[in-house]
Amino acid sequence: MHYDLIVIGMGLSGLMAAKTAAADGQKVLIVGKGMGSLCLFSNTIDVLGQSPTAMKMTDALSQWIEGHPLHPYSKVGLKNVEEALSSFLSLFPLPYSFQTIDNRNCLLPTGAGTLRPTFLIPTTMVGGISVDEGRELIVGFKGFKDFYAHYVADQLRCRGINLELPDLLSQEPTATALARLMEMKSFRENTGREIKKQLQGETRIGLPAIMGTHDPARVKDDLEGIIGAKVFEIPILPPSIPGMRIFNRFKEWLIRKGVTFLLGYSVSKAALKGKRCERIEVLHPPVITSYSADRYILATGRFIGGGLKADDEKVVEPVFNLPLSQPRSRENWFGDSFSSDLPHPIHGAGILTDASFQPVDAGGNMILENVWTAGSILAHHHCIDEKSREGIEIATGYAAAKHALEK
Amino acid sequence: MEKPWPKTNSDVCIRCAACTAVCPVSRVSPKFPGPKQAGPGAERFRTPGEPSVDQWIDLCIGCHLCDMACASGVNISELNLIAKAKYTDEKGRPFRDWLLTHTYLFSPLGSLFSPIANLLLKSGTIRWLADSLLKIDRRRKLPRYESPTFRQWFKAHHFNSHKKMAYFYGCYTNTNEVDVAKATVEVLEANGFEVTLPSQRCCGIPMLGNGDFKGARKLGLWNVPSLLNSVRSGLDIVFSSTSCGHMIKHEYSNLLNIPGSEEVAQHTFDIFEFLRNLKEGGNLNTDFRKSSLRAAYFAPCHLKSLGIGFPAFDILQLIPGFKVDYIAADCCGLGGTFGFKKEKYEISEEIGRDLAEAIDRLKPEIVLSDCEGCRMQIRHLTGLKVLHPIQILRDAMTR
Repeated sequence: MHYDLIVIGMGLSGLMAAKTAAADGQKVLIVGKGMGSLCLFSNTIDVLGQSPTAMKMTDALSQWIEGHPLHPYSKVGLKNVEEALSSFLSLFPLPYSFQTIDNRNCLLPTGAGTLRPTFLIPTTMVGGISVDEGRELIVGFKGFKDFYAHYVADQLRCRGINLELPDLLSQEPTATALARLMEMKSFRENTGREIKKQLQGETRIGLPAIMGTHDPARVKDDLEGIIGAKVFEIPILPPSIPGMRIFNRFKEWLIRKGVTFLLGYSVSKAALKGKRCERIEVLHPPVITSYSADRYILATGRFIGGGLKADDEKVVEPVFNLPLSQPRSRENWFGDSFSSDLPHPIHGAGILTDASFQPVDAGGNMILENVWTAGSILAHHHCIDEKSREGIEIATGYAAAKHALEK
Repeated sequence: MEKPWPKTNSDVCIRCAACTAVCPVSRVSPKFPGPKQAGPGAERFRTPGEPSVDQWIDLCIGCHLCDMACASGVNISELNLIAKAKYTDEKGRPFRDWLLTHTYLFSPLGSLFSPIANLLLKSGTIRWLADSLLKIDRRRKLPRYESPTFRQWFKAHHFNSHKKMAYFYGCYTNTNEVDVAKATVEVLEANGFEVTLPSQRCCGIPMLGNGDFKGARKLGLWNVPSLLNSVRSGLDIVFSSTSCGHMIKHEYSNLLNIPGSEEVAQHTFDIFEFLRNLKEGGNLNTDFRKSSLRAAYFAPCHLKSLGIGFPAFDILQLIPGFKVDYIAADCCGLGGTFGFKKEKYEISEEIGRDLAEAIDRLKPEIVLSDCEGCRMQIRHLTGLKVLHPIQILRDAMTR
């Protein structure tokens, strides 16, 4: 099969690239080895969490871009970062939408009871902003092992309880099981009534992020109606239900747009001819299927999904064997202290590109004229420390697709 | 040469829980610990030669969704299946499981005596007996037999062309959903292909799903030489049941090591994948009548595990006026014979309920799916008319 564009990788950057191209009417194939880290860690959208909460994001970004000319945001440019974010937002109409608070970062509670800065917040988490008044009740479920209400509450200096619901008696439900139960009226109502019974004047209720996969806004509204207090979700240990909501939304949108969606298959070979990628091969034993395209976007992420691989000596990119920016030797991968303030050099390793996200060698020469790169696999960012992972993925996925379509 | 079963190193599992996020069984039932625990987790405690301790392994429905979610490349469902085989080999299989996996032996008789057979299958007494004696759940409707069978119909059917195809119709289609096979033949003929039927038996996927590797392998060893014959005389093979296709293309070689299966796999295609390839080459007959139907399409698990995308959904878009929406749900919950078993019926129905709700949100006039199991389950849970997409395509052909 021949396509206009093939996207390799199904994380947020790959999904965003596929969306951008499909919205432009292109014939697109997206192939991914697995569901990507979106379904593990993402809840909200971080853009530049390390910038001060007092600062408007536009100002923070333009300052950042000025100070970091090689950073992916600088290659995308402020205007396009904002366009990319609006394009992402357009996929999530009400009632489950993402919003900013006055275009600034704000602090949201985590499953560890800490507060972390983030930018785009889903409807179900907005209620968790500035939880530091001690007026919250943190509610967990007995038997649910991925959220510890008392621990979170201790950190936030408020009260925590574990519900013992008859429906869950002697069970150890998973996050997906709880999310499903939450969308059942009777379970939701029982939960709401039980919480109301245990209220001691609290005005806000923090629940683990399991308030349904299809219609979480409805779950929130119903619970608030029953309890008579505001309800908000707090991120849990993986898998992330809010991350799955994002993944599922992209998936459905792309399939309905006619994008060929190959989840669960990795690229076994990229066939090159001169400076062009001619086709990719997907091995599904014992069958090898070839797909060709005019353009390719590599968005395979970092180590978790196998976008980057490390051996004893160095880091490699396995699909195109692209040159990487990386520490000179393994001894330089990590800083002296695990939790030092400086990012570990290994986290800055990644693919070198020109301003339009085409991979280049150390001398700045283009390697493949029909390949672009997007997402966390890029060099010159420290998304963990910058708290910029989703933002980089959205912005570069969008920008790489735009550049690819222009050429 | 006998290769050992491919065994994935479960140590590459990073315990990320992506598989648990998509498992339909652990979503609805706490009895199954989920793919992370049941697959790579429990694998670390399994020792050859020691008795199996995986009492819950039987609850894995075999959908493969976990394999597809895993970014580390662990074939979780394969680990489960091998563990299930060991568990059921030790524990012994009830007569019920033999019956459910050997329907291909008596379905021709069912078809021959279909008026009587169908009366019996519908009868409350028979279903009560099946429920109490065999533990085949009485709430599950047993599929009706049709007469004549597809093979009998085909004998009296003539179409000649220099372009020839082979067709693996599958045993269920032959005796229980004959029109699916007729439609497949008619669409291929409308595209200028003469269809031939290689001799074939059940592909063996019901046995494999029940952990009966030996039985499944026997059927594979019977089918592959016959299919290989077609392939070596220059024919491509199409299938209209995605489960049969998944079995022939991937499990025959991957799990069962059947000689010749790799060569067969290279020439075997899903019917809509084949049509999509024709379209790609500009050779698809797209002379379709206008339609005003509003349909919803459900992608079966074993279509996803073929790794070909959703070719039926793509091709259906070509019918002018025909509106088809994608059903955002995973796994119908029938799992072949799984949903017929009394101890699993409730799990099957609960999984199916999520699908039924997703269908209800779309309010279609008709539902389409490429797998007979999914069609059976959707009919059972929604009461809607459910067809194979090839039947819609056939109806839209102008000749």
